[in-house]
Amino acid sequence: MEVLREKVEEEEEAEREEAAERAERAEKTMRPVEVRTEEAPLTPEMLRDLEKKLSEIETPASEEPPVITKDTIDISSLPLSYKTNTPKEEHLLQVADDFSRQYSHLCPDRVPLFLYPLNECEVPKFVSTTIRPTLLPYPDLYNWDGCAQFVSDFLTMVPLPNPLRPPSSLYSSTTVLKYQKGNCFDFSTLLCSLLIGSGYDAYCVNGYGLRDLCHMDQTREVCPLTVKPKELVKRRERALSKKYTVKPPRDLSSKFEQEQEIKKQREIRAQEQKRLREEEERLLEAEKAKPDPLHGLRVHSWVLVLSGKREVPETFFIDPLTARSYSTQDDRFLGIESIWNHKNYWINMQDCWNCCKDLVFDLGDPVRWEFMLLGTDKPKLSLTEEDDNGMNDEDDVENLGKEDEDKSFDVPHSWVEQIEISPEAFETRCPNGKKVIQYKRAKLEKWAPYLNSNGLVCRLTTYEDLEWTETLEVKEWYQNREDRLELKHINKTTGLNIDYFKPGHPQALRVHSYKSMQPEMDRVMEFYETTRVDGLMKREETATTMTEHYQGRPDFLSYRHITFGPRVKKLALKSAESNPRPIVKITERFLRNSAKPADEDVAERVFLIGEERIQLRYHCRDDHITASKREYLRRTEVDSKGNKIIMTPDMCISFEVEPMEHTKKLLYQYQDMMHLKNEEKVSRHLAWESELEVLEILKLREEEEEAHTLTVSIYDTRRNEKSKEYRETMERVMHEEQLQQVEAQLDYLAPFLAQLPPGEKLTHWQAVCLKDECLSDFKQRLIDKANLIQARFEKETQELQKKQQWYQENQVTLTPEDEDLYLSYCSQAVFRIRILEQRLNRHKELAPLKYLALEKKLYKDPRLVELLKVFA
Amino acid sequence: MNHLHDSMEPRVMDDDMLKLAVGEQGPQEEAGQLAKQEGILFKDVLSLQLDFQNILRIDNLWQFENLRKLQLDNNIIERIEGLENLTHLVWLDLSFNNIEAIEGLDTLVNLEDLSLFSNRISKIDALDALVKLQVLSLGNNQISNMMNIIYLRQFKYLRTLSLSGNPISEAEDYKMFICAYLPDLVYLDFRRISDDTKELAEAKHQYGIDELKHRESLMQARLEDEQARREELQKHKAAFVEHLNGSFLFDSMYTEDVEGKKLSYLPGVSELLEAYKDKFVIICLNIFEYGLKQHEKRKTELDTFNECVHEAIQENQEQGKHRIAKFEEKYLLSLNTIREESEVPTIEKKIMECGEDITELFNALMTLEMQLVEQLEETINLFERNIIDLVGLFIENVQSLMAQCRDLENHHHEKLLEISINTLEKNVKGELDEDLPDDVRLVSALFVDKDTIINAVGASHDIHLLKIDNREDELVTRINSWCTHLVDKIHRDETTRNRERVKEISQYVDHMQSELDNLEYGDILD
Repeated sequence: MEVLREKVEEEEEAEREEAAERAERAEKTMRPVEVRTEEAPLTPEMLRDLEKKLSEIETPASEEPPVITKDTIDISSLPLSYKTNTPKEEHLLQVADDFSRQYSHLCPDRVPLFLYPLNECEVPKFVSTTIRPTLLPYPDLYNWDGCAQFVSDFLTMVPLPNPLRPPSSLYSSTTVLKYQKGNCFDFSTLLCSLLIGSGYDAYCVNGYGLRDLCHMDQTREVCPLTVKPKELVKRRERALSKKYTVKPPRDLSSKFEQEQEIKKQREIRAQEQKRLREEEERLLEAEKAKPDPLHGLRVHSWVLVLSGKREVPETFFIDPLTARSYSTQDDRFLGIESIWNHKNYWINMQDCWNCCKDLVFDLGDPVRWEFMLLGTDKPKLSLTEEDDNGMNDEDDVENLGKEDEDKSFDVPHSWVEQIEISPEAFETRCPNGKKVIQYKRAKLEKWAPYLNSNGLVCRLTTYEDLEWTETLEVKEWYQNREDRLELKHINKTTGLNIDYFKPGHPQALRVHSYKSMQPEMDRVMEFYETTRVDGLMKREETATTMTEHYQGRPDFLSYRHITFGPRVKKLALKSAESNPRPIVKITERFLRNSAKPADEDVAERVFLIGEERIQLRYHCRDDHITASKREYLRRTEVDSKGNKIIMTPDMCISFEVEPMEHTKKLLYQYQDMMHLKNEEKVSRHLAWESELEVLEILKLREEEEEAHTLTVSIYDTRRNEKSKEYRETMERVMHEEQLQQVEAQLDYLAPFLAQLPPGEKLTHWQAVCLKDECLSDFKQRLIDKANLIQARFEKETQELQKKQQWYQENQVTLTPEDEDLYLSYCSQAVFRIRILEQRLNRHKELAPLKYLALEKKLYKDPRLVELLKVFA
Repeated sequence: MNHLHDSMEPRVMDDDMLKLAVGEQGPQEEAGQLAKQEGILFKDVLSLQLDFQNILRIDNLWQFENLRKLQLDNNIIERIEGLENLTHLVWLDLSFNNIEAIEGLDTLVNLEDLSLFSNRISKIDALDALVKLQVLSLGNNQISNMMNIIYLRQFKYLRTLSLSGNPISEAEDYKMFICAYLPDLVYLDFRRISDDTKELAEAKHQYGIDELKHRESLMQARLEDEQARREELQKHKAAFVEHLNGSFLFDSMYTEDVEGKKLSYLPGVSELLEAYKDKFVIICLNIFEYGLKQHEKRKTELDTFNECVHEAIQENQEQGKHRIAKFEEKYLLSLNTIREESEVPTIEKKIMECGEDITELFNALMTLEMQLVEQLEETINLFERNIIDLVGLFIENVQSLMAQCRDLENHHHEKLLEISINTLEKNVKGELDEDLPDDVRLVSALFVDKDTIINAVGASHDIHLLKIDNREDELVTRINSWCTHLVDKIHRDETTRNRERVKEISQYVDHMQSELDNLEYGDILD
């Protein structure tokens, strides 16, 4: 092994040197256009020097063990297709080699192609065969954004060993997924496999990108989560003016003055905007990255998705490292060398002086895209423009030659095994289920569900400055919480916390925004009003007031406002909690109840509790602009005779839109007032209950925060304790049944085990002894058996001999009966002897076999197997 | 019935008795004192109990307009009467009386609970107006015909029925029959009907019920047909072209025309008449369709107008409401400051300010109202012009079509005259004798001389023209009167609205002013 590793290292070293050389060469032949445009002050010579220096610097850096080195990869478990090439593949490689040679001959100033890098088993493989289109059984991976997000989350990015050159090797997705690490080529190969598998027209791209792109550096990007969705400005549709729409009243204000005013305001606004713009520019200047000396040379690989399939309306790029999609016009992508999918390989013949902005992605056009294999299913472009330069002629010649060589050559099936991602791995996503992304003024942390005991899955921290020190606000997303908490928004500057809940909280809570969990402070609670019996929608609290909004109540209550007074100090401090704040005023508003006439339908009632005053305002009639009002002033007074005054006309002040007879009556007013008094009591009680409920919710919230239990879906068999228990019990039962069956058969070790102390684990020595004992015992038994048969045989033979002797002696004197008896005995004895003889022979034959069988069995015995294996 | 009552003197329902009952059953305790102080008006009473009063005749109840519940049980009432004004009645108890027939309940459309227990009723009827009836108690009466049950099928909300103690309840099929024919019934004779019984009853009387249902549905269909036809006619009438979608006018021309009928037997006339009728009917149909179209047009015009006016008024009202709300807010604030203020000059100043506010509000509201009046006036005038134009156009076109009718008639007249004279000449020459059928012989009286025949034809022509003229006149008059009425109504409505609003504003402002004045007095008193 050691030798092998050294050898590999040597190889790597050699490769690296070669790579550096090649890079130098490549850089010599680098498209001068690009260098000229992007790096005007640098001459190619300077660049070369720099490049040399850099490669010198980088060489020791890459000496430290890369994250996946070849020796860490266990290639033994990989199937044969990884280690060898089929004849067809060999053929393909040959074709590719030819193509590459022709290409370097025809375009000597371009970098060599990235055609057949080595795989993890050191076997050259054509890049198209490395793509293994797979559709995974996860609904999330059906669309491109899900795929890209998964790839970017699942893998950890390893920078290219040489940022100026494509890697010398390209591993299969199997290995990449296993180690969850890879460079941008691994990323794009995997993503491309998934995208093609789910039906997209996707291609791996070998090209050049900006430094930030290549290094997956998003610190200059604005976090997509912080970008607020642009609010659609709804243009209010002006109702069509109808034939009889009344004319608006004449406008008598001065037009000139209005114009002047508008002009002035516009000027002010323009100034403001200018100032803002300047500010912005200044900021942008500050944020701008240092110029990159390797601009335009950094190799990157990404994915191109062509329009057409899966209803993709427009061709776009996906950066597999960050999972973000970009337009093909984006200036992060500086050029394309070649692209490939699982069927073919194309070289870009277009000039990339203006990044990728001018590229035409019509792969059927042989002028723009030089294909490697014929017989692709891409539609060929009908040549409308005449070929007029030599380059094209050469292409044609080349094409012709190729056509002769391998007409309709199909890319062989991918050598890569089908991509498999276990549900666990899919759920865990990021390596170790954790990932941190730094954005401009923001940090995004992601966790796999159930990884954190409080259900936290995502945290976005926004910072004031670029160095991520001054926290502005924190947003935390939760999943599977039993209290249905979904999002926690903490604003560090104002100290305001906002919790968002999904439907299903025991108190129907939807949003809870607060500064502190202490009661009687500023807070807003919103509820899912449909799940609440009282239809409460929102409750706002300040130190002295409480406002409640209702919806959909049968009594049409829509609003209740309670004003509290300062707590009265009680002399006897009997119990601290039963001193509610006194209520000063309750205002209740009702919606229009169409079953009642407007004059009897109360719109607002105000209970001024301290003044014993009740104010009522009724709803306005449809064709009126004034509403009835009534005010009751309740004073219990005693008249001159000492009688209690029940009701006097001055206790009720009312304004009626249309004076009615029955409301003037004292009896009516008295009854109304009594009714209102009861209502007041009810309202006060409700206010008190609301206060209690707030306390209860706060307590519940605190408990929930403390416990933060997570729910498990009943379909989640892995996490659901109950089902797991059940399954385990079932398994145990099955297992026990099996054991019983085995025991029922016959335990040949039992008598030997019984000699040992019960319940203890066997040692090696004991196991060996046990085995030997068992075997010797068995041998003894076999021998015993053989001896027994032998003894019987001998006995029979002796008896027969005796009988024969006796017969010969007394043959003359014997009666015919005795003779018959003797003969029959003889035949029986001979039969017995023969049988015994046969049994003995058979036993002799079988005994060694039986012995071997037992020995084998003992080696396989579950009780001994572990212990005996070592000595096998 | 009750011998105890029989022996007593029958009493009259007079004011004293009612007052006493109202007083006794009115509010109690503190409220009762107030009630006594003020007196209770009969029309405010919601419930009245007059049992065991030995009343013979129901009387004097007309004032109890709002009565919801009336108990007149255990009296000796013989007829149901004097309840016509009690239209809000929901609960009526007339049990234990001597009533023989159900009557006088036709105005009690809100009645839900009716008890006629222990009376002498033998037939259930005269309950048709009681569409909301839920509970009907008719026990201990003399109902003997099972068919009375079928009468009760029309009450959709009837859930409780009691009929025990009647001769029909003796019948063995009594319960089953009722359950089958009144499937929505829940309680019979104060017992809940079980689902089993219902099913059983239904199975038993399936045949009869099906037949009944069929008859009822036929009846229903006929009623609906009738209704639809009536509505159609109403629609045509609204378009002023009723009976013009057929040969109705043409037929009516000939119904009173004796001569015409006789003349139609002349040879060649029937063909002529046929062609004439066809053409005439086509013109009538033209008028009819045109009328409907114009009606639709007028309707959309009117709808748009109403909608726009409504919108304008609504918007104006919103502005007014907004003004008032703003004012009230400010007013309340100033009142509070006045209350807290102790310096008299400041109070006076504040009150002055309030007064100014009120005046300002009044001005603002009145300006709004005047603005609206102007706007509406303009719109109404526009609408008036348009609708009059529309009507004028309609009349003009109808008249031209009617003229076509008249032309047709003239043409027909000439032709007829020609034929008649020809026939006359032939008759004179005696050429017709053999080939004329019998009915012409009937007409032969006309063929005495030329004058007679011309007169006859002329008379027929005149009648026809008269009919056409009449129809035209009717149409024109009616549409004109409709138009004037409409315009008048719009003007009147607008005036009423304006007056109402002005009254409302001044009332409100007066109230606020007087409140402010009262405050001043109060402060001065303090």
